[in-house]
Amino acid sequence: MAEIDPFESMRSLASLWGQGGNALLASQQGMFRDMAEKMRAASEGGAPVAAADTAGFEAARRAFGELWSSATEVSANLSKAMQGSAPSDPLVAEMLAKIFDPKAWFSGTNDLDEALQKMAEGPRLSDLWNVERKFLAVFNAWVALRRRTLENNTVTLDAWTRAAGAFAKELNGRAEKAEKLDSWREMLALWVETANTTLLETQRSEAFLKMQRETLKASTDLRLAQRELAEYYSEMFGYPTRAELDDVHKTVTELRRELRALKRERPASAPARPVARKRRSGKRQEATP
Amino acid sequence: MTHAPAAAINPAEAMREIADLGKRIAEGAKLFGEIRDEDVAIATTPKDEVWREDKVTLYRYRPLAEAKVKTPVLIVYGLIGRYTMADLQEDRSLVRNLLRLGVDLYVVDWGNPSRADRWLTIDDYVDDYLAGAVAEISRRHGIDRVNLLGICEGGVFTTCYAALHAGTVKNMVLTITPIDFHGDKEQERLGHGFINLWTRSLTPEDIDRLIEAHGTLPGEFMGSVFSMMTPMRTMMKYNLDMLEVMDDKKKFLNFLRMEKWIADRPHHPGEAAKQWLKDLYQDNKLVRSEFVLGGRKVELKSITAPVLNVFAKDDHIIPPATSQALRGKIGTGDYTELALPGGHVGVFVGGKSQGLLGSGIAQWLAERP
Repeated sequence: MAEIDPFESMRSLASLWGQGGNALLASQQGMFRDMAEKMRAASEGGAPVAAADTAGFEAARRAFGELWSSATEVSANLSKAMQGSAPSDPLVAEMLAKIFDPKAWFSGTNDLDEALQKMAEGPRLSDLWNVERKFLAVFNAWVALRRRTLENNTVTLDAWTRAAGAFAKELNGRAEKAEKLDSWREMLALWVETANTTLLETQRSEAFLKMQRETLKASTDLRLAQRELAEYYSEMFGYPTRAELDDVHKTVTELRRELRALKRERPASAPARPVARKRRSGKRQEATP
Repeated sequence: MTHAPAAAINPAEAMREIADLGKRIAEGAKLFGEIRDEDVAIATTPKDEVWREDKVTLYRYRPLAEAKVKTPVLIVYGLIGRYTMADLQEDRSLVRNLLRLGVDLYVVDWGNPSRADRWLTIDDYVDDYLAGAVAEISRRHGIDRVNLLGICEGGVFTTCYAALHAGTVKNMVLTITPIDFHGDKEQERLGHGFINLWTRSLTPEDIDRLIEAHGTLPGEFMGSVFSMMTPMRTMMKYNLDMLEVMDDKKKFLNFLRMEKWIADRPHHPGEAAKQWLKDLYQDNKLVRSEFVLGGRKVELKSITAPVLNVFAKDDHIIPPATSQALRGKIGTGDYTELALPGGHVGVFVGGKSQGLLGSGIAQWLAERP
């Protein structure tokens, strides 16, 4: 039986990643250009507003794009280096596609970024189109978050490239010694071990921690900018603002704290608190003597 | 890139694996169709509500054996994650193990804090809610002191409580509890102590603004930070890891129960989160006895109850050194350490520690009636 090339599938993967990455970048570039133009149009005749840091975003996008191209080249070279004679099973190829796809590193290790974006992206931008100044603050913060996310992805993609290199080196070493991998599982275990080590080392680096912090700050800034805009509308239509609700909650917390203190100060001979008290309509049922 | 000859895989083994993979997927698909929510229920050990204050509930577990430890034990989990981890499933349950060994067991459930609970502080949780739960147990049993069993952040709560209310604590068991939040620097292991490092990389203002923006430390946010600590595992678990177990119903259900617990991650009240991240993780005030609750310093020397300090040898979230820092800093010579195999969660649900954790705690308590 012919030997199976463990990187048969990677040849097509390289192409797939390249297409996916380029499509992602192209769509983001187009989207930002479109947004910037719409924003300019929206602010015409209105108060002067600070422009979004699209240059910073563009620099981050370009850096990410270059690294993405480099990563796909690495995988393509890796694929070419591993010549085989038999096609791999499509099921296995599909599984490998997911496991070796560098995009998975963004959705996996950059889970934090997704959580941050999810937390930040409350109202849709189009819902808040009419208040130019506040909207632009939101837009600027949104661009900043996208920029930080791209920069973060660049650090992660750099880690993937190093992991892929280390993985290839290990395989090359084995091949030169004519050592066979016992199974797909062994190959995957080698990849997981190599990649995990690289990722964990990356996470402890100054560059990664700095990017994480910047992304967190950008996410927080966006959330707060959105809140300011939302409060404008709340006040306009007479709804309670977030700040007012926070104030009410603070008062309730302090009142409850005082109530608990008063209960503790009751004489020891006072009747004990009842078991399994129930609250109704948000008010606590008082202790029954 | 170095070019090299093909790294070949044994073809017979590859074919066998492919066939095995197909079989697993087919059996897994069948299992998926059969499993119902009740099959993956967690925290099923029967218990009764005995006290409630605001969102906090005190439960008492129904006994499974004749009482052998006279003084009741109160399990105190933290605000990150939920106490149900101590009772994940019938054969992997610290709760059941302790009940079977004759321990009278209570647990405090902090509920589901929301943005409305932003202003709750650790002071509230220690001096009010935990104190209230202890008082209720004492009242019900007609005793002055109870046993405390703290887990992770809950261990920090019990440590603070034992220092501030020493007269009401009979014995204190700490499990996977950080005391020296900078202890990760002492024994650097790749992948261990990332939360310590990550939190120190933030400024206090970053944390203040995060809480200002969200009102809480969102559960999903902490979940993503935990996921970052095991990056490849996180990426692999829904393809490779799940594939490994999906043709074995028991293992598959175990996998799903753990996923259920992981997904149930409450929000951490904002002001309490600031104390947790700034006072403890950043400024490391607890180990220096500089942490202040209710206007009083938490002096570790004030802890006079015997202490059993349990830690996991491979805990990547709470590295052992951060727990072991308690040694020599408390006001009692009756201090015992119990090092168990496994990681942060594995020490509670892993097969290796099942026979060790519950029995170790029960025996230590029985020796201190």
